[in-house]
Amino acid sequence: MIKSKKDLYAGIMFIVIGGFFALWALNYPMGTAVRMGPAYFPTILGWLTAALGVIIMVRGFTTPDVDPNPTQWKPMLWIHGAAVIFGLLVDPLKIGFVGAVVVSVIACAYGGYEFKWKEAIIESVVLIVVCWGAFVYGLGLPFRLFPWS
Amino acid sequence: MKKTILGFTAVLALIATSFAFAQATGKPADFVDPGLFKNLILGFSVALSWTNLWYCFIGCFLGTLIGVLPGIGPVATIAMLLPITFNLPPIPALIMLAGIYYGASYGGSTTAILVNLPGESSSVVTCIDGYKMGQQGRAGPALAIAALGSFFAGTVGTILIALFGPPLAELAFEFGAAEYFSMMVLGLVAAVVLASGSLIKAIAMILVGLLLGLVGTDVNSGIARYSFGISELSDGIGFVSVAMGMFGFAEIVANLEAKEADRSGATISEVKSLMPTAEDIKMSIGPIIRGTAIGTIFGILPGSHTVIAAFSSYTLEKKLAKDPSRFGKGAIEGVAGPESANNAAAQTCFIPLLTLGIPTGAVMALMVGAMTIQGIAPGPQVMTQKPDLFWGMIASMWIGNGMLVLLNLPLIQIWVMFLKIPYRILFPGICLFCSIGAYSLNNSAMEVYLAAVFGIFGYFAAKWGCEPAPLLLGFVLGPLMEENLRRAMLISRGDPSVFFTRPISCGMLIVAGALLLMIVSPQLKKKREEVLTEGDGL
Repeated sequence: MIKSKKDLYAGIMFIVIGGFFALWALNYPMGTAVRMGPAYFPTILGWLTAALGVIIMVRGFTTPDVDPNPTQWKPMLWIHGAAVIFGLLVDPLKIGFVGAVVVSVIACAYGGYEFKWKEAIIESVVLIVVCWGAFVYGLGLPFRLFPWS
Repeated sequence: MKKTILGFTAVLALIATSFAFAQATGKPADFVDPGLFKNLILGFSVALSWTNLWYCFIGCFLGTLIGVLPGIGPVATIAMLLPITFNLPPIPALIMLAGIYYGASYGGSTTAILVNLPGESSSVVTCIDGYKMGQQGRAGPALAIAALGSFFAGTVGTILIALFGPPLAELAFEFGAAEYFSMMVLGLVAAVVLASGSLIKAIAMILVGLLLGLVGTDVNSGIARYSFGISELSDGIGFVSVAMGMFGFAEIVANLEAKEADRSGATISEVKSLMPTAEDIKMSIGPIIRGTAIGTIFGILPGSHTVIAAFSSYTLEKKLAKDPSRFGKGAIEGVAGPESANNAAAQTCFIPLLTLGIPTGAVMALMVGAMTIQGIAPGPQVMTQKPDLFWGMIASMWIGNGMLVLLNLPLIQIWVMFLKIPYRILFPGICLFCSIGAYSLNNSAMEVYLAAVFGIFGYFAAKWGCEPAPLLLGFVLGPLMEENLRRAMLISRGDPSVFFTRPISCGMLIVAGALLLMIVSPQLKKKREEVLTEGDGL
């Protein structure tokens, strides 16, 4: 029945994104062709995207293709999680730059293969020195280093 | 003999087209006017200042570094460094970012030749014969020819920008809103036609990019579109976050998944002597000239086709060779041609950006962003209003190409050292730099979260066969397209035929339509897929 999971999923993705933008545009004034309102262009683009999504989805039932590689949840979640953790620790939680780097680097390294605690800790220390030198000292980016500073 | 003739024809064709262009813009063949030399002198006086030389060097150095390291490309690097350029004046900032881009195409060949991995996607083709040469103990000559070929190509590319820039910009001054809109349509269509992967998915990705570009406060009505009450979103999604997510985070996950970038098991060919023999040089001259011509043409076309340029050059050299069976077994022509082609393309793709303000690929889209950050609207007016920026950048590109030869040849051992760092040590650092870069954009964690969201989106999109580059292109062009569409429709009082009654606009739309039709025709579709899959499979 399903010949290409890649096309099927991609099609659904485009339908959802396009449809969402087009429907949400209903909240904004449409305007006329002469004076286009904020909804005009997104509505056209949104439905166009959704239409292409339908074609791609239909192709998923007609044109055979290899299955996508299985999703690797571990690296996917840890890498992106590490970024979110960095953001959280630096900004709303105000742990400071040093703590954020350590936690984020270790979390990130954990997402890879052959994780070793010793290596990750050494690496985070090296990166703190490098980043402090390059970004905070060198370029003067306004990072608070520690919660108390 | 056949080869030499073909090389000459290519060069002649280039000169003829540049001549024709000068004619078409109504400037009778004075494209080599005294003004050019005056401008170049201005450019060099800007580029040779200590500050600009320093940033040019940093750009080339970083470019080579990321070129050598597989798993991180120029898009992610430029995105990471963009926030930092806030604090720099415009000229050094743009010189540095440009250096990263063309430097990467130099550095990529080193990894290709020494470990059989393309450090940059543009050097996939170099792996074939370059690595074989390395195994035969001829890594040095291969590196030398690659660098010298690239230098020649870069020089030609720089001269072409200087020649083509002014007449093209004058043409662009005639453009109204309708022409700009049609040109962007043409640019986007052309970008997907030659891009790898599924055409329809690429178009859909462009549309998603255009839509995402519209997020934020609408200039005309002041309504914050798609901001969901998040104040950061009312300023729009930062393209840095999009680029960082899709080319940084998503890329890292994909690399970890494939374990491709891990070179711990790979053997690094030893570099003994760099000197190519007289025979090597003699065999390389033709391929270098032809590769430069091919790369130049592909570079100007929208889509930043450094890969296709390199691949076309390889195919051409193989066809022209007396003994094609040597290819794949360490033929020096297979290194000289493609390396020149990809570097020529990396230079000439600045032409549409600097003269028309239209980015042709993901990196050029980021350059548009960098210029906007600096308060410069990319377009033909850059050349007249900021001649020091335009000519300074061109002069610095040539200087940078020279620096790259020095960086890549005598210092090769340093890059070999970097190659020995395993990927599992590298990626947490890359990931951290991305986070810091995104954060420092507005000193807000919001950009980091957005980058993570786009990373996840990019990961799945790529898994399902949707490339991220068209999205970024659409993203940068989205607001511009809407603005020009609105303006054109306002001037024409709501009559959409304006796009077809104005000759230049109509011509561009016809070309765009023809390109799409061409690709749908079954014969060409098959041919395109053949070329692209062959290119991918290398």
